[in-house]
Amino acid sequence: MKKIFAGLAISTFTAAINTQAFAADPIRIGAATYGLQGEFMQLWSNALENHPAVMSGDIEITVFDGRYDALVQSNQFDSMITRQYDAILFVPIDADACIGPVIRATTAGIPVVGSNTRCNSDQLASFVGSDDILAGQMVAEEIIDKIGGDGKVVIIEGPIGQSAQIDRAKGIENVLAEYPGIEVLERRTANWSRAEALSLMENWLTSHQDEIDGVIAQNDEMAIGAIRAIQASGRSLDNIAVAGVDGITDALKAVQQGQMATILQDATAQAQGALDVALARLDETDSLPLSETWTKYKELDWANGEADTYNIPWTVVTSSNVETLLNQRQ
Amino acid sequence: MPQHTSLISSETTSTKKSQRTLATFMSDYGIMVAFIALCVVLSIASPYFLGVSNLLNVLRQVSINGVLAIGMTFVILTRGIDLSVGSMMAFAAIVAASFAGASADSALILPILMGLGAGLALGCINGVMVARFAIPPFVMTLGMLSMARGLTYIYSDGMPISSLSSSFLWLGQGTVAGIPVPVLLFAAIFLLAWFTLRYTAFGRYVYAVGGNPTASRLSGINVRGIIFAVYAISGTLCGLAGLMIAARTSAALPQAGVAYELDAIAAVVIGGTSLAGGKGRIIGTLFGVLIIGVINNGLDLLGVSSFYQQLVKGAIIVVAVMLDRSREAND
Repeated sequence: MKKIFAGLAISTFTAAINTQAFAADPIRIGAATYGLQGEFMQLWSNALENHPAVMSGDIEITVFDGRYDALVQSNQFDSMITRQYDAILFVPIDADACIGPVIRATTAGIPVVGSNTRCNSDQLASFVGSDDILAGQMVAEEIIDKIGGDGKVVIIEGPIGQSAQIDRAKGIENVLAEYPGIEVLERRTANWSRAEALSLMENWLTSHQDEIDGVIAQNDEMAIGAIRAIQASGRSLDNIAVAGVDGITDALKAVQQGQMATILQDATAQAQGALDVALARLDETDSLPLSETWTKYKELDWANGEADTYNIPWTVVTSSNVETLLNQRQ
Repeated sequence: MPQHTSLISSETTSTKKSQRTLATFMSDYGIMVAFIALCVVLSIASPYFLGVSNLLNVLRQVSINGVLAIGMTFVILTRGIDLSVGSMMAFAAIVAASFAGASADSALILPILMGLGAGLALGCINGVMVARFAIPPFVMTLGMLSMARGLTYIYSDGMPISSLSSSFLWLGQGTVAGIPVPVLLFAAIFLLAWFTLRYTAFGRYVYAVGGNPTASRLSGINVRGIIFAVYAISGTLCGLAGLMIAARTSAALPQAGVAYELDAIAAVVIGGTSLAGGKGRIIGTLFGVLIIGVINNGLDLLGVSSFYQQLVKGAIIVVAVMLDRSREAND
C-alpha cells in the first residue's frame, strides 16, 4: 500500500514539473463512471482505452468505479481535482447529485464532459450520450409494430427514480398516449435485473394467462428475463412480442434467434465521442476529432466540439444488421 | 466464536426439556398457521394463486433462496451468521458457467464440480477463520461478502458469461415428471438437512455447539470442527445455488445475488431459529422461505407495487421475532 501511495505522489510530482517543462507530456483525463459492474460500462471503459489518442500514448486515461454511489463519485471528483487532471469524463449515477462535483471541477478550471447518463448542471462543458426519452419511444414503437394498434402489454421498469428509468418511461408514455387501443396490464420495476424480471413475468403469466401480447422492458437484461419466463411457461414467443433497450450481447443473440427486438446504445461512440469533445475543449491536440464516431453517424455534426449536446443515435437491431453488430463485440 | 456462555440458559434448556418440546411444536404450528392463513387470503384475492402452475412457479422462485437459507440455518444454529452467501453464489455461478460453454454439451459434471468446489473453497476459508482463528462470524463473512464479489469481478472481468450448454441449462430450466429441477434440488437438500439435523450425531452436535459451546467442548465435542463444517456446508450450498441461478437465467452475471443474504437470513428468522443459536428447526426455515416466496408471488399476482412488498417482508420479520421473544418470556 505504502509503495502505491509513494508511487502516486512521485508521479503527481513529476507530472507537475513536466507540465511546466515540456508541452508534450501526456494529457491526463479521468473517467468517472457510475459503476463498472454492468456490461454497458465495461464496453464504455474499454472503448476509451481503444481511442486512437490513448493508444498512441498522447492521453493517459484513469477510469474510476463509482460503485453506484453518488458520494463515492463526489469523493473521486475531489481527488481528481487535487491531482489536477486536465479534463474529466463524467457518467453520473444521479442527475442531481452530480451538480456539486461538476461545479467544484469547473471552478478549479477542469472541464467536465458528461457521457451516457444525464446531469442537470449547466456547467457541463458538453454532453455526449443518447436520448433515453427517444429510447423509450423506440422500444414502445417496436412492440406496436409487432402487435398492431390493439393489444395488451406489460411494462418492466428500471429502478424507480433513476434518470434512465424516468426518461425511458416518459418516452414509452408518449407513444402509448397515441394508441388508445393499447392497454397496459401491469407496470412494475425489476431493478434492471434479469432474475427479478424472470419471477415477475412468471407471475404475470399466471395472473393474466394468455392475455399478454407484448412486453416492453426498459433494458435488455429484463427483456431476457421475460423471455426465459415465457419459454418456461411453454408459451411461444411468436405470440408475445418482447423488446428491450441497450443492445447487450445476450440481447443481440436473442434478436438473431427472432426472440426479441432491441435498440442499441452505442457505448463506443458515447465514450470516444466524449473524449474527442474533451480534447477539443483542452485545445492541445490537432486534427480533431480522432475517433470513428463522427464518420460512423452521418447525422452527427461535430461542430468543432463546441456543441452543448451530442445525441448519439440509437440503432434498431434487426436480423439484417445483427451479425455485423455481434462481430464488433468479439 | 462466542467465548462466554450463560449458565442460566444451559440450565433452562436442560431442565425445561418438556416445555421446550411444546414450545418448538408451537413454533412450527404457529408458522404453519401463518403460512396457511396467507395462502387462504391470497387464494381468495387471486383466482390464479392456487393453480398448479402458479404453485410450481412459487416453488421454482423460492428454490434458490431456499438452498441458501438451509445453509444459513446450520450456521445460525451454531450462533454464527453468514453474510457472504450472495457473493459466494455469484462467484460459484461465474466459475461454473466458465466451464459450461455451449461446446461442452456432454460434460455436465465438470461445471457442477467446479461450481460446488468454488462455493466449498470459500466456505472453508470462512470456516477456518471463524473456527481456528476466532474471527467473529459477522466480521469474517462481511469480509468474504466483499472478497467473493471482488473475485467474481476479477474472474469474469466484469462481463456476464452466457451461451451455456443445454445440459447445464437443464439444472435451472428442466423438469422431471413435470416438476422443475430447481425444486427437486431444493427438496433433496431440504430432506438431507432435515435428516442430518434430526438423526445424526453431527446434527446433535450442531445444536449442542450453538446451545452451549463450553459445555460441548467439555463433553468432548470437536467444537471447532463443527463450526468449520457449518461454514463449509453453507459455502457448498451457495455453490449449488450458483449453478441453479446461472442455469435459470441462462447466464452467470457478476452482479447477481446482491443482498440475497438478507432474504436467506429473513427466512431462517421467520422460521423461528434463534439468532442466539442452539434452537430452531429446518422445517421452520422451509416455511420461512415459502412465506417470503408466497408474499412476493401474491403481491405480483395482485399487481401491488413492489414498494409494499419490501415493507410487508420487513414487517413480517419483526413480527416473527417478536412472537418468538414473547414465547420465550412465557417459558
